[in-house]
Amino acid sequence: MGKAKLTFEKALEALERIVSEIEAGKVPLEESIDKYAQGVKLVERCREILDSAEAKIQLLAKGKGNALEEAGELTDEDVEAPSDPSRD
Amino acid sequence: MSTKPLPFFDPQKARGPRETPDVGGKQPTSSSGPMSVTLLVSRIKQALADRFDQSIQVVGEISNFKRHSSGHLYFRLKDANAAIDAVMFKASAKKLKFQPTDGLEVVASGRVDVYEVRGQLQLYVEHLTPKGTGALELAFRQMREKLQGEGLFDPAKKKPICRFARAIGVVTSPTGAAIRDIRRTTQRRWPGMAVYLLPALVQGEGAAAQLAEAISLLDADAHRYGIDTIIVARGGGSIEDLWAFNEESVARAIFAARTPIISGVGHEVDVTISDLVADARAATPTAAAEMAVCDAAELRTQVDGLQERLSRTVQAKLEVSRRALTAVLRSVVYRDPTAAIRTPAQRLDELTHRLRAGMAGLLASQRRRVEPAANSLAALHPATLAERAHGRLARLEDRLAWVLGGLSKQAGQSLAVLERRLAAIHPRHRLRLARQHVSAADRQLQAMSYHSVLQRGFSVTRTADGKILRSTGQVHAGLRIETQLSDGKIRSTVDESHADSADGKENTDMKTKHRPRRTDTQQGNLFV
Repeated sequence: MGKAKLTFEKALEALERIVSEIEAGKVPLEESIDKYAQGVKLVERCREILDSAEAKIQLLAKGKGNALEEAGELTDEDVEAPSDPSRD
Repeated sequence: MSTKPLPFFDPQKARGPRETPDVGGKQPTSSSGPMSVTLLVSRIKQALADRFDQSIQVVGEISNFKRHSSGHLYFRLKDANAAIDAVMFKASAKKLKFQPTDGLEVVASGRVDVYEVRGQLQLYVEHLTPKGTGALELAFRQMREKLQGEGLFDPAKKKPICRFARAIGVVTSPTGAAIRDIRRTTQRRWPGMAVYLLPALVQGEGAAAQLAEAISLLDADAHRYGIDTIIVARGGGSIEDLWAFNEESVARAIFAARTPIISGVGHEVDVTISDLVADARAATPTAAAEMAVCDAAELRTQVDGLQERLSRTVQAKLEVSRRALTAVLRSVVYRDPTAAIRTPAQRLDELTHRLRAGMAGLLASQRRRVEPAANSLAALHPATLAERAHGRLARLEDRLAWVLGGLSKQAGQSLAVLERRLAAIHPRHRLRLARQHVSAADRQLQAMSYHSVLQRGFSVTRTADGKILRSTGQVHAGLRIETQLSDGKIRSTVDESHADSADGKENTDMKTKHRPRRTDTQQGNLFV
């Protein structure tokens, strides 16, 4: 399916909603199983976002017109060592 | 006697001392006549220059302040007893960080001179600082009042900071403490968070312009990168170092941005105009990053908790259903469906027996008289009727057992389906044990329900597609049927079928092969 992946915010919201509905006890048994399946998928999506470990800083620069464009990554060498440790 | 004139001196002819040229400050004599204004003013100017040959510092209060369109500043410096006109030319004036106003006490440094055109004594001011406070502090206060008056700090206009930003943008120097702290903090809290840096100078010449431009550009393209929050940051420093963040251009860029902006400039005690305009203020760049980025570990715990509640609740629901089914299986009605029928059946037996005995005795003497009619009566024999009633009762018993058996099987099957689905979704599901219980109960039930009946001589007939035959209406001649006996199956084809007539009398010309034939010993006999 061409659906865009849920943002963390939306996935968490949907998950909380499903859990509340099932806990409220008004959902029939078979539907509970369906919602359980949905819930498990949402849990996986949340974990996917939380556990991603890209950890980089993307540099931007002014490109054509006033649009920004990507200009490489900020490496550890670019960030100088602290000259005055008491400053922070 | 006539006096001879003196050869040298004639008072009448005396002309006074000769005029000498004006050399180096000697006062002109009265006989040289009045001097020109130009001369006077230029001499005063010279005297002043000799006396005040260096730059001086004067403290006084500003009054009559005027900023000329040329950029030059004209004012008067005064105190209780005296005043002097002052001018500050554009070249010096444009360096001022604060706005001079009437009533402000200042220290002015510069040179005194005379403006010849009007013969006016003036102080030509090169540097101006407020007395008693720093120029920058004053400038900060003035800017703060001005922007506050325009509503740039209005709390109602501040946007909330997104809790779960998809990406964050940063405006700061690519070297230095701020970006280092921000990087460290985001990696600690949420390593996968996308961080975009648009570099800018953070102090010195041109810093304010760069910062303002960077903020505007980043805000304009924020949606393209999924940036939900922008951090404007700088490490600690003096008020001069941080000055760019007090400039009007930066403040206006922050105010105009549509993306929420967190300002993290300097240390805890440093408050800049940027901090006041921004949607949120952080004491340091580290605090700004903490505000922008959630702690992933906390969120992970929250998600785990939700999954736990989800599993637990669904399992509990299944447990409730299972218990209900077990209760039904255990109920007396279920285990022994024919209990309710047994007593009446037994009573029927007794009555039949008594009736038979009574009738036999009663009719013995009347035998001969009623013989012609005896045969037709035989059909109405209570024993026959009772027998028929027994038969019906037995069929009802079986049906009841069948239905209950079927129901329990269905319920067991549905539950099994649901359990399988759950197990498929959640491999570590622990309901397998419960399932075995249900299967065991089900098996017990099946054992009770129809095997004993089969052994008594009854059979189950089904159509080819497995439907149990209960009515002649379900078959037609030529239909393939299958009959289950206690020890096996018989497959056959229907010849013909007849339904019982409405009053319950059997139609004695039934020809279906499998109908169990009633033997004579089962029929009651009037003539025993």
